[in-house]
Amino acid sequence: MNGTRFERWIYRFWMVAGAVNIRVKILGIVLALVLLLGFTVTLQVRALLARSMYIQLEEQAISITRDLAARAVDPILINNLYALQQLMIGTQTTYPTVRYVFIVDTHGYILAHTFQGGFPQGLIEANTVSADAYQHTSVLQTDEGQIWDTAVPIFDGRVGTARVGLSDANVIQTLNVITGQLLLTTILVSTVGVTAAVLLTWVLTRPILALVQATKAVEKGDFFQHVPQWADDEIGELARAFNAMTDALAKSNAERIEREQLRAQYVSGVIMAQEDERKRIARELHDSTGQSLSSMMLGLKALADACHVPELQRRAEELRSVAGQTLDDVHSLSLQLRPSVLDDLGLPEAIRRHVADFRKRHSLTIDLAIQGMDEGRLPTAVETALYRIIQEALTNVVRHSNAQTASIFIERTPAKVLAIIEDDGKGFNQSEIDWLDGHLGLYGIRERTELLSGQLTLETAVNQGTSLFVEIPLVNEKVLE
Amino acid sequence: MINLSALKPLAVRNSEGVVPLRVSVAAVISPRGTAESYQPLLDFLSESLGRPVELVQRRTYQETNDLIESGEVDIAFVCTSAYITGHDEFGMLLLAAPEVNGAATYHSLLIVPVDSPAETMADLQGKVFAFTDPISNTGRVYPTYLVHQLGFTPETFFARTFFTYNHDDAIRAVADRLADSAAVDSLVYDYAVERDPTLLEKVRVIHRSPAFGIPPVVVSPNIRPQLRVLLEEVLLNMNAYPQGQIALDNLGIDAFVPIDDSAYDSARDLLREVGVPSQ
Repeated sequence: MNGTRFERWIYRFWMVAGAVNIRVKILGIVLALVLLLGFTVTLQVRALLARSMYIQLEEQAISITRDLAARAVDPILINNLYALQQLMIGTQTTYPTVRYVFIVDTHGYILAHTFQGGFPQGLIEANTVSADAYQHTSVLQTDEGQIWDTAVPIFDGRVGTARVGLSDANVIQTLNVITGQLLLTTILVSTVGVTAAVLLTWVLTRPILALVQATKAVEKGDFFQHVPQWADDEIGELARAFNAMTDALAKSNAERIEREQLRAQYVSGVIMAQEDERKRIARELHDSTGQSLSSMMLGLKALADACHVPELQRRAEELRSVAGQTLDDVHSLSLQLRPSVLDDLGLPEAIRRHVADFRKRHSLTIDLAIQGMDEGRLPTAVETALYRIIQEALTNVVRHSNAQTASIFIERTPAKVLAIIEDDGKGFNQSEIDWLDGHLGLYGIRERTELLSGQLTLETAVNQGTSLFVEIPLVNEKVLE
Repeated sequence: MINLSALKPLAVRNSEGVVPLRVSVAAVISPRGTAESYQPLLDFLSESLGRPVELVQRRTYQETNDLIESGEVDIAFVCTSAYITGHDEFGMLLLAAPEVNGAATYHSLLIVPVDSPAETMADLQGKVFAFTDPISNTGRVYPTYLVHQLGFTPETFFARTFFTYNHDDAIRAVADRLADSAAVDSLVYDYAVERDPTLLEKVRVIHRSPAFGIPPVVVSPNIRPQLRVLLEEVLLNMNAYPQGQIALDNLGIDAFVPIDDSAYDSARDLLREVGVPSQ
């Protein structure tokens, strides 16, 4: 129980202490220390002083009364009340702390006193002393505060008792003055301490704040932050470590960027080589193989015309038909590999033809809308990438989604090109996509998009169809060039 | 809690049921010395009479005489010249006289500091002289008589005079060289030397007067005769009781003896010759 309560207190303390900033903490520590010290010393000094002053007061009361008692013997014995009165008044005048003086005779009657016009009730009985005692001091509680009342027997008690009352008003006043001065000193020292603490916290927190600022900059990707190293202490050490860290970060970032560029160059190189290779194969197919097949067909036609054997004629016609079919296939293949329309007529026409071809070959309804493509052609890299992305996306739709319809929307704005490919197929769980394994088609799309600094967004869920959003900026076209 | 500002009139002293015997001792020695040396005697009187005894002291002989005249004290130990004055003025009555060293007489001693060159009163001209009480026989009347014999008055003979009001202080004044000389009661001087022999290193006696009647014990002329007889009887038989003997020893007295007014004639002549001194 105690442990948990203790922990709860610690927790509460931290709730408060942790919520304030380090300046307030240091200020609080300094202020608390100075005030604690100041008040403790003040109380201690006051207590010690009070004890010593009260001892002195009592000693003074005794010495005054003893002196008075000795000097009062003769005036009392010869009944010189005037001299006695003068003696008492003199005592009161000499010692301002003396509140009253009076003499009681052996019968308990007042012989003389220094009160004007009467005598306080109960004062005579408030303190007594036996005849053989040296003195007896009582502390009386009066309406004027505490009174140290000392009684001393006069002439061994044969003629009476001298009584002197000393007020502690002076003691209290002195104590208050000293306490006040000590408190004033404490406040002055606190002020100096707070000023020093403010300076100290400024000195301490300035490098920390600089570090915080630099850290935030690093978070945003600025690795060239350096903080000044103000001192050679722990914080200076931290600043040095921080600077070393940002240096290392900057270096590794530069390396990362370089690697990224190398990779991008490599990937784009691969893609370009692929495109070139496809282009070459397509041209080869079109020019060489196509020409050969055409020549073969012409030869077979001539052979059929020249031959009058019906059987041979029929077989030649069959072969010419096969060759024609093969020529169509070669055409189609070369078109798929690298449609020359993309190079010759541009992206919109190439896509339209590809879509028309796709409709023809698959039982899929495809809606196509292209906007903003009238202002000249896009950069070759962008055209190729978009063409391949749409080609790949449609292949995915046919291969995986069991969709009935698909739609393609392409829009060009001055800043970017947006392509949206949607289907109404079975979709899939996004979290299950493994970009690297399996869905090579998607990986290829992403790779092409990112090479052009574009962004790929995939929206899909089970039985909800699939939407691909591809955005390619048109400002930064340098990556591929 | 005592209220120091709320002042009430003091209780008036009630007259006590038993009236104490009031005894006065003239200021031959200091009030404190008197109170100390007479306490056993007062205790003895109280015991013998079966009533409390109160000591009343005054600064001067005249004040004591006034107390006797008005009957405020019942019995008093007075100085010789105070008795003569009191007797002649209002009929102060002799009760008894102390006997010291077998005689009921005493002397006036002229004392000077021990290293003073003075040998007689004539050598003290132009010096400072300490009188005891204005109507003291040994301390004022006799030295004034000596100065008159030289054809001067104290005012013209001495540079300065002052009163100490008791013999103890007169001896001390000479010992401390506050005064160049003083005349003191021989009984007081002997008693003082006995108590403090070092006094002999400070003062010396250069002149001793003829014998005078010793300072007596007196009563008021208005005293009840029964009390007077009772007091006389107690005093005269004191040495028969151990406590009485202790009281007498404490005062340096052998015994109290009856005395007649004629024993004071020599002092009376001297007083008449000098004239009643004025303060």
